[in-house]
Amino acid sequence: MAAEAKAPSLAEEYSLPPQEAPVEKAVEDKPQEAESIAVTNDETPQADETATAVEVNPETSEVQEVADKSEVEDTNPAAEETTETAEEEAEEKPEIKIETAPADFRFPTTNQTRHCFTRYVEYHRCVAAKGEDAPECDKFAKYYRSLCPGEWVERWNEQRENGTFPGPL
Amino acid sequence: MILRSLECRFLTIALCDAAEPWQLGSQDAATPMMQGIIDLHHDIFFFLILILVFVSQMLVRALWHFNEQTNPIPQRIVHGTTIEIIRTIFPSVILLFIAIPSFALLYSMDGVLVDPAITIKAIGHQWYRTYEYSDYNSSDEQSLTFDSYTIPEDDPELGQSRLLEVDNRVVVPAKTHLRMIVTPADVPHSWAVPSSGVKCDAVPGRSNLTSISVQREGVYYGQCSEICGTNHAFTPIVVEAVTLKDYADWVSNQLILQT
Repeated sequence: MAAEAKAPSLAEEYSLPPQEAPVEKAVEDKPQEAESIAVTNDETPQADETATAVEVNPETSEVQEVADKSEVEDTNPAAEETTETAEEEAEEKPEIKIETAPADFRFPTTNQTRHCFTRYVEYHRCVAAKGEDAPECDKFAKYYRSLCPGEWVERWNEQRENGTFPGPL
Repeated sequence: MILRSLECRFLTIALCDAAEPWQLGSQDAATPMMQGIIDLHHDIFFFLILILVFVSQMLVRALWHFNEQTNPIPQRIVHGTTIEIIRTIFPSVILLFIAIPSFALLYSMDGVLVDPAITIKAIGHQWYRTYEYSDYNSSDEQSLTFDSYTIPEDDPELGQSRLLEVDNRVVVPAKTHLRMIVTPADVPHSWAVPSSGVKCDAVPGRSNLTSISVQREGVYYGQCSEICGTNHAFTPIVVEAVTLKDYADWVSNQLILQT
């Protein structure tokens, strides 16, 4: 028994514990419905690029995989190590989340200038429509910060303050 | 003994990620893109050698047979339909065989098909580079930004390459899709890393995208590839690929240092 517990087979290692399976299934059914609704919603607002349009750009499995891997790597090492790393990570500071602005099919070219600009405008229109602290605007902020050089953002912020920003705010 | 030295010379497994003296050929591939470029080069070289052999054979044969001594009365044939058709069709078939893999590679290189995991901005200056990792920002002001200057000629430590090493390397995770946004702050620059098969011009007022996915950990060297002023030759690029976990550690350390 003890020996079995020490060295589980590959299949055992990757299989889910039996109690959790039914719960997972019940949960799985609902998000699929939600997803299909989201997709149908997504089709219409794409035409008019208003800031309020909810852009459903689901992170691909790629990114999630990467994130998962890092988690797995963290938990993998032997028992003694995990306690050590756990302590270290407890001391350690900001959790790094590996994700960035997704590929956008409006901007499939090498030239990404407009991608950055559009995301910046989208964020500020979102803020204008939903208020300063609206959580749904946060992702646009993340996107434009990822895509725009800091210098450009600074300049545009200045221009917005002076009222000389050239974009449709 | 001779065998041993030959072995050292030709069978070393260490991969070459920086230019070396008197180098012929490309540096070893670190991305699928560079592998594709090398393969395309070899594909095309097959046709080049075929054509070279054929043309030199014709040339030598013509010189050998048709000169004043062996053939004093020249022939006066000026027209031959068959040979004209053959020499028109055949080269275009060769060009077709070169064009197919060439375009396949070209379009696979700029495909924006996968969502990248990380965006890194490489901003060219006269004459250094600034790198911005802005995925972890929570405001416009705070940002993981650092400058990357060359190590001066009289300063390198043992083992560092002359005029290739920088003080702050770009750290990237291996086996991850990266989005490089390349733009300058003054004059045109170019961000190039031969092992990664990447050369992306930095044009003022415009931001260019290039995607890479480094397949193995290592340090990759490149140089500015667009003449950008006096110190153009002293603006190297060093990419250090590490594991994803090490990358996360590095980022969190940098964020602490900056705050």
